[in-house]
Amino acid sequence: MIKTRRWIFAAMALAVTTALVFRPGLPVSITPETRHVFGVIDSLAPGSVVMISFDHEASSLPEIGPLGSAIVEHCFRRGVDIVGLALFSEGTAAGYDLLSRRASVLGRVYGSDWIYLGFRPQYTAAILGMGESIAGVFSADYKGQPLGSTALGKRVRDYRDIALVVSLADGSMPTYWVEYAQARYHERIIAAVTAVMVTSYVPYIESRQLEGIVAGLKGAAEYEQLLGHPGAGMRGMDAQSAAHGLIAILIVAGNWQAWRLRRKRRTMEGASS
Amino acid sequence: MSWEISITAILTLAIYSFLAGDNPFYRFAEHLLVGLTIGYTLVVTVKSVIWPEAIQPIARGEVGAAIPLVLGALILLRLIPRWAGWSRIPLALIVGGGAGVAIPAMLKARVLDQMAATVAGASTWSGWFILIGVVTTLTYFVFTRAQTGGWGTSARLGRYFMMAFFGATFAYTVMSRVALLIGRLEFLLGNWLGLLRS
Amino acid sequence: MKDRLAILTASGFGSFMAVQYFLTAPVANAAYRAILGWIQIVFAVALVAGVISVVRLHLKQLGRRRNQRVYSATLLGGAALMTILGFAGGVEQGSPFLWIFEHWQAPMQSTVFSLLAFYVASAAYRGFRARSAESAALVVAALIVLLGRVPIGEWLLPFLPSSADWILNVPALAAKRAVLIGIGLGMVATSLKVIAGIERSYLGGR
Repeated sequence: MIKTRRWIFAAMALAVTTALVFRPGLPVSITPETRHVFGVIDSLAPGSVVMISFDHEASSLPEIGPLGSAIVEHCFRRGVDIVGLALFSEGTAAGYDLLSRRASVLGRVYGSDWIYLGFRPQYTAAILGMGESIAGVFSADYKGQPLGSTALGKRVRDYRDIALVVSLADGSMPTYWVEYAQARYHERIIAAVTAVMVTSYVPYIESRQLEGIVAGLKGAAEYEQLLGHPGAGMRGMDAQSAAHGLIAILIVAGNWQAWRLRRKRRTMEGASS
Repeated sequence: MSWEISITAILTLAIYSFLAGDNPFYRFAEHLLVGLTIGYTLVVTVKSVIWPEAIQPIARGEVGAAIPLVLGALILLRLIPRWAGWSRIPLALIVGGGAGVAIPAMLKARVLDQMAATVAGASTWSGWFILIGVVTTLTYFVFTRAQTGGWGTSARLGRYFMMAFFGATFAYTVMSRVALLIGRLEFLLGNWLGLLRS
Repeated sequence: MKDRLAILTASGFGSFMAVQYFLTAPVANAAYRAILGWIQIVFAVALVAGVISVVRLHLKQLGRRRNQRVYSATLLGGAALMTILGFAGGVEQGSPFLWIFEHWQAPMQSTVFSLLAFYVASAAYRGFRARSAESAALVVAALIVLLGRVPIGEWLLPFLPSSADWILNVPALAAKRAVLIGIGLGMVATSLKVIAGIERSYLGGR
């Protein structure tokens, strides 16, 4: 049993490695969901403010990093200002790092084009509190400067000054954004999530409680295509195909093996009776 | 291949060594990770929350800011067995306050809006299918009633809808975990070994 | 007495926070904002308490368990390193704290979770069996979404993406919605029980 497992591990590593090295370049189609999210951000006027909440752990960075990067780049290219924050402690450094790097590449200035508020551990209190007063929840930004000391910090008083909230999440955080910010303050929420969370949010899309959803490395690849700037998302798609293909083969092979064994047992039972 | 990338690669391979079985390299990396994480959490929590929102206001003379700090100090008493009982009061504040705000939020967002969308959507074939799926799945979860007769048929149909959900969730879970593997292998093969074309 | 105080605290604050949703008076609003602020700081101190707890446990293990000593020392060393760097060197771009997060902590975290890709492949072969009509439905749904959501599926069978879409947006949505409604009702009931003092599990099994 352990031998079979090791072969499967080796096959998985080989499939992903081969696809990464040789990159056949299968075309990536763009789903309506990603196109819709792109359209929502694209329709924002320059000078609008988007709040990006880094609601994820460091473990999901390889999947959510490319997606976050694409969305941040889109905002900055549109002249949309960004207020960043984190409701997960590990998202704090990850979010600040991502925003700083993208801002530096695209020439965006801290204080006027973007600010980073930092971390709040209790998400319910934070999301509800910002509906009343953002300065009431974050009196200072991540750098320790009073919120009102920056031009952008002065502009954002509560959700009425925020055109859109993007929750970059690997868990249930977008649900809480919907339950507290959308339900009470009618804020528009977009969920940019890891693929594993997609099935959890589809009901909120259909009921229009969530403005849109974009998910996983595939979502990042689609978004990068729309931006015209291929990155880590596009690079990973062939490997994603290879791994999925392998797992589909393993599912079929496992079932075929089980069916063969059942048939053999039935034949033997028939013969003995 | 810089020394910084090499160290990251060695730590990555130490974690991957777990695939061959538990071993000292993996345990070393695992403990280092936990240590870094708790140090990180302490720094971020103090610098982002406690210092600017509690300590600095008190230093400025805002007496009201002392209330949450006193409640927070009661939480710390949890670490001393003789006085641990006092930590239940601030915990009750968090739990009670959370329960209070959850009532209108859950009722609106999870129940009423979702029910409204289900009924409103029943103007197309898909909408009717969803309505049937929601009702039959809900009947499955009513365990206080015997699942026989018409109710049982409804519950069994609900199970098929759940199988579709679990199948889709499994597929997306695979997608997520594979994406992480792709990220790490891209680092090892590209950044560390330089085998990938840019 | 402490338990009674705790139950009264939960009931009092819970009732107010539930009712304030409908109140517009400035004094109610001010109290609501203040309570939200208190909850934030109390929660932050609870995180610090958790950190202290883990450090205490491993300090004890340094002294007692010989074969665990090296690992506990590593853990404590990592914690001390990040703490010192964070407080002394800052947390901004270019700081050693952020460097260690980016080059050690985050990569190791993602590597741990990426191990699951291997185990999921192994589980797909050994555990994903269509033994009944229901499990066959599960397997078929999984295969369609698995292939329909990646370029190779679109390339092999053009109907796969739209089939995957249908599974996600119709039957899977219906089941998840039912679960959401059920959980929502359950959470409202539990919240009411906390406020009424019936649900006391947060007191630690008393």
